[in-house]
Amino acid sequence: MSDEPRFLKPCDAAGQASAEDGVVILDGPDGVAITMTADAAEQTADSLRAAARQARAEASRQRDGLRD
Amino acid sequence: MLTRNVLRNRTEDFTDEERSVLENAIERTQTYAAGQTVVPQRRTLDTSTLLVQGLMTRHVHAADGRRHLVAVHLPGDFVDLHAYVLKQLDHDVGALTDVTVAVVPHRALNDIQTRHPQLARRLWFLTLLDAAMHRQWVMRLASLNALQRVAHFLCEMNAKLLAIGQSDGQRFPLPMTQADIGEVCGLTNVHVSRVLRQLREMDLCSWRAAQVVVHDPVQLAATGLFAPDYLYLKPAMALRVAGHMGDAHVRRTPLPQTL
Repeated sequence: MSDEPRFLKPCDAAGQASAEDGVVILDGPDGVAITMTADAAEQTADSLRAAARQARAEASRQRDGLRD
Repeated sequence: MLTRNVLRNRTEDFTDEERSVLENAIERTQTYAAGQTVVPQRRTLDTSTLLVQGLMTRHVHAADGRRHLVAVHLPGDFVDLHAYVLKQLDHDVGALTDVTVAVVPHRALNDIQTRHPQLARRLWFLTLLDAAMHRQWVMRLASLNALQRVAHFLCEMNAKLLAIGQSDGQRFPLPMTQADIGEVCGLTNVHVSRVLRQLREMDLCSWRAAQVVVHDPVQLAATGLFAPDYLYLKPAMALRVAGHMGDAHVRRTPLPQTL
């Protein structure tokens, strides 16, 4: 098999959010290109933070499990 | 000649006799005003439509009623040749500008298939070309960010218009709205507006009064990750596109002359 880049991997690059004409634009990572209201953007941000905390905890448990 | 732009500057081309046969297969021409649906989905069809003048679109309707523009057609495109086999479309074909089309009855295509198999193969090439473009459009929406998507689309339009003599490689007509570009690229109006501003500020291209001026074709192609191979242009035209857009992606191996 070749070493071609595969798309279906977790991104380690962050998306870039910016405000434009009273809405929030999220560009990237990869093909993400979405426009949200400020409320939807805040709810998405909260959801992302909560999921990131949970993912960190799961990764930590997996690492501890491997050490045992 | 109504068929002059069909296969113009592509790797497949008609002989004079084949072009004459196709020309004679046209039953009539018809005009439609911008915004009209020319071929509605799910209608039983016994003709196919060749775009002679103007721009047309293919669009599908999502379950929530939103319209998605899935192809933009230029003069020379046989916009619903696939209806010859399918007998109905799963999408609408509409006039983006005022258009003139040539109508070819399916019975005439039957004759071509029976009596002119090489011409039939060249018509098959047209539907394969459509499929190649659809693959690029899928890639564009799945993998490119907003700036790349718009840059890629503008490069594609520039190359296709160059092939039919309606672009000089740096300036071409694009009678589309920002909403149309948004439908093509899966972006909101405000996002398209921001990207067009970015492209202008990067001095890559500007778009005003339905005219696009490409200031730096090579960098615009690089920004949009645009590789024109999938347009199957004649080597001379591919080199011309490459001259305007950089030669990094030009097909190195000559294509066979027949399918």
